[in-house]
Amino acid sequence: MRTILVLVRKDFANFFRNKAAVSLTFAVPFALIWLFGLVFGVNRTDSGPSDIPLAVVNASTNPGAEKLIQALQAEKAFKVITKFVADDKSERPLREADLTTLMRANEFRSAVVIPEDFFSERSFGLHLKVYTNPRNEIETQLVNGILQKTIFSNVPQLLGQSLLASGRGAIGAERMNNFNQAIAENVAHNFGGDPAEIRKGIEQGNFGTGGLGGMGASGDPLISRVIRVESVQVVGQDVKSPAATRIVGGWAMQFLLFALSAAATALFSERDNGIFHRILAGPVSRAQILWSKFVYGICIGMLQLITLFLAGRILYGIDVEHHIGLLLLICAFAAAACTSFGMLLAAISSSQEAASGLATFLILLMCAIGGAWFPVTLMPEFIQHVSKLTLVYWAMEGFSQVLWANASFMELLPTIGILGAITAIVMSIAVWRFNRGNIFG
Amino acid sequence: MLSLENITKRYGTLTALDGVSLQIETGEFFGLLGPNGAGKSTIMSLVAGLRAPDAGRILLDGEPLSAARPEARAGLGLVPQHIALYPKLSAEQNLRIFGQLYGLGGAVLRDRVNEGLEAMQLADRRRDPVNTFSGGMQRRLNIIAALLHRPKLLLCDEPTVGVDPQSRNAIFEFLEKLNREGLTVIYSTHYMEEATRLCSRIGIIDHGKIPALGTLDELLLKLPFEEEIRFPRSDATAALVAQLGAHGAVEPGDEHYRFRPQPGYKLSNFYQLTESLGLPARLFTSQRPTLEALFLHLTGRNLRE
Repeated sequence: MRTILVLVRKDFANFFRNKAAVSLTFAVPFALIWLFGLVFGVNRTDSGPSDIPLAVVNASTNPGAEKLIQALQAEKAFKVITKFVADDKSERPLREADLTTLMRANEFRSAVVIPEDFFSERSFGLHLKVYTNPRNEIETQLVNGILQKTIFSNVPQLLGQSLLASGRGAIGAERMNNFNQAIAENVAHNFGGDPAEIRKGIEQGNFGTGGLGGMGASGDPLISRVIRVESVQVVGQDVKSPAATRIVGGWAMQFLLFALSAAATALFSERDNGIFHRILAGPVSRAQILWSKFVYGICIGMLQLITLFLAGRILYGIDVEHHIGLLLLICAFAAAACTSFGMLLAAISSSQEAASGLATFLILLMCAIGGAWFPVTLMPEFIQHVSKLTLVYWAMEGFSQVLWANASFMELLPTIGILGAITAIVMSIAVWRFNRGNIFG
Repeated sequence: MLSLENITKRYGTLTALDGVSLQIETGEFFGLLGPNGAGKSTIMSLVAGLRAPDAGRILLDGEPLSAARPEARAGLGLVPQHIALYPKLSAEQNLRIFGQLYGLGGAVLRDRVNEGLEAMQLADRRRDPVNTFSGGMQRRLNIIAALLHRPKLLLCDEPTVGVDPQSRNAIFEFLEKLNREGLTVIYSTHYMEEATRLCSRIGIIDHGKIPALGTLDELLLKLPFEEEIRFPRSDATAALVAQLGAHGAVEPGDEHYRFRPQPGYKLSNFYQLTESLGLPARLFTSQRPTLEALFLHLTGRNLRE
């Protein structure tokens, strides 16, 4: 027993001398829990998502449409976009024709169109069109649910208005007004109240059908019969294996980051066994060592991604072959960005243990913030902005553009440009640090 | 050939080299002898361009050497203290990689790899991974890797640490042959025997300074005695020790005394004294002083401390 205690004491002594191990054990979990809480909005006093971009096009002149828009704007889950901002910053109301382009550019992934025939004088009921880009299933389902709730809780009054409009169409406006006046006087006479107020309520569609709002669910047969919701999937409608295609980008980035960080931190083993001494004593510069690792990282990253997508093709039927050119391009840029991240870790860390600990921390953080696990649009607004600073976000964006949105080269170019810029900045810092740091331990 | 002029190097508050100046001529086999932490590896890393001095300058053939000019180091070969090889690759793969880094290729590289492996008796293991080699074999390969580009100056930083006697001899013979063929060698070691055997000139280094520099004979002349006589510690020899104090220094060891006579004191007088005390001659061994004694004399410390 004494021997065991001595050995245990030795392990504790070693542990507390290893700063990387200590920080990984104590500080990193604290930091991760705090950051994940921030990402997933654990500390928020309100619950549920907020500020998910939702485009609304109003082609109807009926006042009911405006009421519906106001109801959507009042819903905290949505950030309602009704304006189209041109390149010259001029604004005009959003049109249905704008939606496909803007949704392909990922400006928003859901839109509601209130068409001209929102209310029809020929038939009873409402007509709406919902445009979606279901790139992220969780987000799409959540948005649909909230959208339905908002619409259906406003339906009873809107239905009343629809009924009036339908009546006007059938018997004419004058006779309809007379009819409403007669009803109002009759109600006032039998149940009391002011006939003018009662008539105003009738003309606003308030027939005392508020209880219908409680039935506001998509599966409700009555509601379903009276509201015609037309669904239009704008992006990804031809994707063969939507579920796998949606998540493959997130998987790819996690694999890539862990693999390439490990490859980069292998620099430490070359330092520790004296390889650096040998090759730097010759006509080789420090930057050349780092760049060689960079090129190697890109090659390994590309091979890994190709293997991953090949597995996705074989196992889940992801359509790889029709996008092979752009897929290889985005793979190369994603691999370059991930490799530069690994290079930076190696350049700023003092030991392999420290680099591995830092890599684990940052990779988990970037995956969480970047949307590899959870839709970015459902995170707090501040995190949504920070998310765009991560390479995970842009790499996933690139994979989605190619595999989900069938983007063209020109459409992919901005994403590639951002990944390229991230790579250039991060590698510059890494080379600068590597050239000046103590790389001999 | 190589000139170090007033070199100072600090690591934080530690001064690793303190105004060191050295001049090494073409064809020399120069030894840096000192204990661990004396500054030997720092000199090697500065000459190899791995680090930059805080003060002073280093010239190779009159041209400044600096970390910023890798091309100026093309004429240098470094045998690092570590076995700086890729352990999972074969001996041949390792040599090809290091040769290619120096711009070698084709038949030239192939011939030099073959020559090196033959010279170090590793040709039959050329395709085996390095991590299957013994420590001595790895050390030999470590040296070949530094010679493929035919450097003018070879820096050997304690190249025989942990090597078996057979490999050590093979390394010595190989380096001596190269030196005879004109290669200039700087060899750092804390083994006095290695410096004595190999080096035409030796610099004693301690605490970042070089207190003595010269050929073996020149260095030993710095000692205030020419001979050293050892004899066992016993009651019988205690009386002798009491009388020797007037004629030189007596240094007690664990089991032996070491008597270092003053200059001019004749050994015949010593043996007359021992005879008068009835001590047999077989108790006494006389030997030439060593670099170890010189180091002790200069620094007050043993080489292996």
